[in-house]
Amino acid sequence: MTRLTRGDLIRLYKTIHTWTGIVAGLALFIAFYAGALTMFKEPLARWASPPAAALTPPDRVDELITRTLAARPDARKDFTLYLGDGRGVPGRLSWQKSRQDESPWVAELTEGGELEIVQRSPSALAQIVDFLHRTAGIPGDLDIGTAFTGVMSALYLLALVSGVVVLLPSLVKDFFALRLGPNLKRLWLDAHNLVGIVSLPFHMVIALTSVVFGLHDTIYDSLDAVVYEGRLRQVMRASSPFNAVRPDERPAAMLSHQELIARVVATEPGFQPVSLQYREGGTRGALVRVWGHDPRYLVRGKGFAVISPLTGEVVNTEYLPGHQGPWSATVASFFSLHFGSFGGTPIRWSYFFLGLAGAFLFYSGNLLWIETRRKTQRREGGPVEQPRSVRLMAAATVGVCLGCVCGLSLTIAAGQWLPGRVEDVNAWHRGLYYALFLGSVTWAVVRGAARAGSDLLWLAAATTAAIPLTALLARTVPELGLEPAMEGEFGVELVALCGALCFAAMARAARRRTANGPRDSIWSAAGPCPVPAEGK
Amino acid sequence: MPAFRNDWIAKSLAGTLLGFALAVAISGLFAWVGPGGIAAVNKYQMIMWLVVPLWLGILSACFLFRDGLRAWIWLGGACALAYAGLFIGRHLTR
Repeated sequence: MTRLTRGDLIRLYKTIHTWTGIVAGLALFIAFYAGALTMFKEPLARWASPPAAALTPPDRVDELITRTLAARPDARKDFTLYLGDGRGVPGRLSWQKSRQDESPWVAELTEGGELEIVQRSPSALAQIVDFLHRTAGIPGDLDIGTAFTGVMSALYLLALVSGVVVLLPSLVKDFFALRLGPNLKRLWLDAHNLVGIVSLPFHMVIALTSVVFGLHDTIYDSLDAVVYEGRLRQVMRASSPFNAVRPDERPAAMLSHQELIARVVATEPGFQPVSLQYREGGTRGALVRVWGHDPRYLVRGKGFAVISPLTGEVVNTEYLPGHQGPWSATVASFFSLHFGSFGGTPIRWSYFFLGLAGAFLFYSGNLLWIETRRKTQRREGGPVEQPRSVRLMAAATVGVCLGCVCGLSLTIAAGQWLPGRVEDVNAWHRGLYYALFLGSVTWAVVRGAARAGSDLLWLAAATTAAIPLTALLARTVPELGLEPAMEGEFGVELVALCGALCFAAMARAARRRTANGPRDSIWSAAGPCPVPAEGK
Repeated sequence: MPAFRNDWIAKSLAGTLLGFALAVAISGLFAWVGPGGIAAVNKYQMIMWLVVPLWLGILSACFLFRDGLRAWIWLGGACALAYAGLFIGRHLTR
């Protein structure tokens, strides 16, 4: 062989596709499934948070700020004022002692006019879902987990590129083909290819952005050393939105928060403020970031304008949608394309389904790996024993994927049971998830993939059904002391109910296949059979 | 002509290590001589984002080299050129 022929090229990239896919697939399944759920992080946080205590009314907020700053100097450095009526936010005024401080402090004025300062945990549920998405379930340090996801995402990008190279020559022929025939492997392959090609732009975006999110520290360090001559920190500081004002600790009076909001909205009428983050509030060096949404633009989650609370002048719009410089706007669009934070509700739902489709892509990829490697029984041949690698990979695929689904459903359902019953809600959320996850993996290895598959699907249906059941109990049996979700909001329950029905249907199908499917399949519970099975 | 060899380890390492170095140099060159110069507001963020598609693009393609040694020689040569360009660009635009 002197030149690389077309066949060689495809074989080459098929090997790359197989290896990168099989190494990264399971981690990516978790990241995608949890990621699909993070699209509805806010409804989930509202679902699991106790009804908000009455927040300080807007006309007394400025008094609240002044009195809090007098009582608690540690709040001055950085505190946030939340607008709106407050479900899913810690309180009216909130600050953390440090970035590691998991329970922020909250200040309110009581009806009697007293200043009340308490420490209140934010919704632990939204946090655990986000944590699982960012770390693919690697417990411990968030930075290590995200770096791991970054590396997995690099493999994922290789898998995408190689998958396209492999598929391209037969793309026109195979694209709309979904061969629903007796050859199940062909059907899975068609489905895998169809989902992969249709959602390819989404996957390219997610893969590239995830590598950046996971590895940006390393990349910045490298750039600092060889490109910015060790002066990257100064370059970053020169771009900081806070440059307009120098720190000055002398006290100064601030304009009312309504005035600040009005000035920002006058700058950009389509901007919808949700919170005000004060930096060095009450001093001459004070600056306020007015955070908010503008669904007309590609923004990073939320955008903000920086305003001086002393003069009311908008001093920086580098992060305000529609007013950004070319580089900021371009980078903001990358964040936005990952978070689906544009276009409002239809995009949220699209990203939710694309995320689930991504999870399917990795699951089906593993199934294809298993199908390709299992031994088939010949018509005249004796029984076959599947190789160890195939049995283990099948068990891991079933255990990890369904364990993640069951664990997440259980921990979501627990969101209305835990508050007020246990000391450390956060630890319980994590504990429940990992207990079910590890339990499922163990179960799959011990029972074998075939039997564990339908067992765990039933478990997934049950844990997911526990979400609407919990909500039903919370509304109908007040003696249980559950924290009922928001009045008139049923989104979480409805989606969970649909999910539970889907899992139940899959569980039935899996059980049928275990019992009646071809016996040389890895999904047959019958084990090696003495009599040759009838055709596939 | 010598035969095509997979040389998985040598090519993967070349694509990962030299590919990264090359991507950093190309992004850096763009940082210095591209529009806005080195100090444009928030351009450094775009430069960081640029590294990843370049790096993974090189890594995806490096398996096409005829063997591992050629991957190292070609990517190494490209790195030398890119870093020379970065050095010159940095001094010309200062």
